[in-house]
Amino acid sequence: MTVTLTINGSACRFTGDPMTPLVDVLRRERFLTGTKAVCREGFCGACTVEVDGMAVMSCLRPIGLLQGAAVTSIEAMSTGDGPLHPLAAALEAADVVQCGMCFPGMVMSLSSFLRDSPAPTRTDVKAAMAGNICRCTGYERIVDAVMEFVGHRQGVRS
Amino acid sequence: MTVDLEERSLMLPETVEGALAARLDGATILAGGTWLMRAPLRRESITRALVSLQAIPGLGDIAIGTDRVRIGASVTHEALARSLAGIAGLEAVATAASGAANPAIRRVATVGGNLCTRDFAAADLLPAFLATEAIVELRTRAGAEQLPIAVFLDDRARYLTDTLLVSVILPRNLVASTHMRLPLRKAGDYPVAILSVARDRDRRLRFAVGSVEPVARRWHALEEALAPDRGDMPLDPERTAALAASCNDFKGRDGPEADGWYRRQVLPALARRAAVALARQEGIR
Ligand SMILES: Cc1cc2nc3c(=O)[nH]c(=O)nc-3n(C[C@H](O)[C@H](O)[C@H](O)COP(=O)(O)OP(=O)(O)OC[C@H]3O[C@@H](n4cnc5c(N)ncnc54)[C@H](O)[C@@H]3O)c2cc1C
Repeated sequence: MTVTLTINGSACRFTGDPMTPLVDVLRRERFLTGTKAVCREGFCGACTVEVDGMAVMSCLRPIGLLQGAAVTSIEAMSTGDGPLHPLAAALEAADVVQCGMCFPGMVMSLSSFLRDSPAPTRTDVKAAMAGNICRCTGYERIVDAVMEFVGHRQGVRS
Repeated sequence: MTVDLEERSLMLPETVEGALAARLDGATILAGGTWLMRAPLRRESITRALVSLQAIPGLGDIAIGTDRVRIGASVTHEALARSLAGIAGLEAVATAASGAANPAIRRVATVGGNLCTRDFAAADLLPAFLATEAIVELRTRAGAEQLPIAVFLDDRARYLTDTLLVSVILPRNLVASTHMRLPLRKAGDYPVAILSVARDRDRRLRFAVGSVEPVARRWHALEEALAPDRGDMPLDPERTAALAASCNDFKGRDGPEADGWYRRQVLPALARRAAVALARQEGIR
């Protein structure tokens, strides 16, 4: 089966098994290895990307269902040689990134959540992160950093 | 069985008839894929032919009427939770849809997939639909067929051999309902036990339990025990828990998250919590 879609703004054509998980297309065909394939069961969230503006687990998205879709992975969140995405920068500044395995997925989940919910509570942030597992830092510090980021963003806006 | 991956095909018909024809030819229905994509991890094979429901107009719609709500099979958990939020009587379904799995899964996992995954005991929507006395609408070789969800679940494997589930219909005859789930972590994993409770306009109580046995079912023994209390609003939490303990006729299934005895054991506590939650809702109105 042949599927055409855009990945990080570039047109992309895939030919092969329609049940190939999106994460494998990203990593093996496009060499976008920022998206991590960890549990491959939808439990850990390390493979989270945006498909048509929604954060989803790329390990469970069959490529055959993505004809015409727009996929955004962590690589598109900054230019590479430019500054990091502000949320990624805030998490790094708060020193909540350790092994880094969960981090791309956390940024993808939380950036789309914060786009849609500009003034979340701590409980909202925790609920949004329910599908992103971190084995290093513990969640409270990540939530602290997100709340600080939200507070700072609100301060800048007002 | 090994499958030649290169040869697998996926059809995307634009009509229910097209999808049914593919199903009758042996294709597996692919909805959100959150169960099917994990087949290799369960050491199960996937058929060479698959048929997606994604391009069929209408299957992703929710129609909210005064006497019923019709939910298309391709509606996602997230869309269902959003659409039913705040609708009196359907709180159990809204909570089941908003509390299952995690946000990213809820954005793609469908109602049809949740109802048609035969080997999945912890489906949240099942007890909520049982308590709501939902009707499932199937499309078979013989045409359209509507069945009470309990009848469908009793013989699900047979129905699913040559059937497409097209929608679920929820009658709007409830005054309040609630959905209690017990996961081991706060979120993200499969619930150990699930209890949905609803009260209809005649004050009749309906209890349904999921994840304790292989398939969700109504808790008729508890409903009967509480029948004399029908006029009592709100439901007394301690009496409900005590009756739940004495009417506990479930045979808990052993599973990776919990042993069968534990799933069974937690039901009275869930019943107590459900009674408190139901009373809170009834107090609001
Ligand atoms: C990390 C994770 C956590 C989860 N936690 C929960 C949880 O807490 N609670 C819960 O309820 N669920 C949970 N789930 C399960 C999830 O809800 C199911 O995987 C999902 O509902 C299946 O829907 P789908 O659309 O992805 O189905 P698919 O994977 O596409 O299909 C599943 C099955 O249903 C069949 N099917 C699909 N649609 C139809 C139809 N219309 N007619 C006939 N057959 C059909 C398919 O052929 C297949 O056999 C979890 C899943 C994951 C990955």
